[in-house]
Amino acid sequence: MSNSPLLPDSDQDWSDLMRQLQAGPPARPRSGFYTRVQARLVADTAVAPSWWPMWFHRPAYALLLGALLITLSGDGSALRPAQKVGSCESCPDEQPQRELKR
Amino acid sequence: MVAHLQQGSEAAFRTLVERYQDRIYRTVLSLLRSPEEAEDVAQEVFVEVYQTIGQFRGEAALSTWLYQVATSRALQHCRKARAKKRFAYFSSLLGFDNGVLHEVRDHAHPLALLEGQEQLQVLQAHIARLPSRQQVAFTLRHEQELTYEEIAAVLRTTLPTVESLLFRARQTLRKHLQPRPGHV
Repeated sequence: MSNSPLLPDSDQDWSDLMRQLQAGPPARPRSGFYTRVQARLVADTAVAPSWWPMWFHRPAYALLLGALLITLSGDGSALRPAQKVGSCESCPDEQPQRELKR
Repeated sequence: MVAHLQQGSEAAFRTLVERYQDRIYRTVLSLLRSPEEAEDVAQEVFVEVYQTIGQFRGEAALSTWLYQVATSRALQHCRKARAKKRFAYFSSLLGFDNGVLHEVRDHAHPLALLEGQEQLQVLQAHIARLPSRQQVAFTLRHEQELTYEEIAAVLRTTLPTVESLLFRARQTLRKHLQPRPGHV
């Protein structure tokens, strides 16, 4: 039902078209393919496996982990609540704030 | 052969590579369309096969497993290349790069108007734009000439699904490549 002889319908016709268009010898890898595969395999195994987990190799994760460690370690200053508003340690004359009582 | 491979026999691995290198290279080449990239990915396929042969349980034929590794590696490579291209495009839009990386306009001539190599290139460009499973099915069927059963095994799917994938692929190609009235 094709309008064009170049646009086949059937399964076999498509294979024929592809074969016809791909004229010439079939593609092949360059000679010495096995040698290159072997060299690659040797190179791959020569790289010592890192004992760091893979995710740690990403800088964003490493920074995040660093920030988390800083936050959780030490004196915990990062977790301490902020000072009360109005108090001033460098002002000796300041009266301690009193709670308002009715 | 599988048993020898699993024991780490170098001779068996050499036989495997020499027996399948052309088929694997051609399959990858038909999905990537670049001889350099196809060579690189074909090498990766055999390295992966060597490293993971221990996991091969023999549920499918060895050739089926090789095609599975080859097609998934090739598609993975395509996805990475596309992501890189998108990144480069957005970088150029934002002015991070001075190079002009606009997409080449698609002057899709109908096949009937073009000569041999041009026809093939136009057809290949349209095959490359098919959804990945349709692309793999079409390539394995019409370029590697695998049977429907073999394609179903490679794609880990059923025969009717392969038929449907191929039907849709051919339909899409016909739609895009049909001569349009007034297109001279």
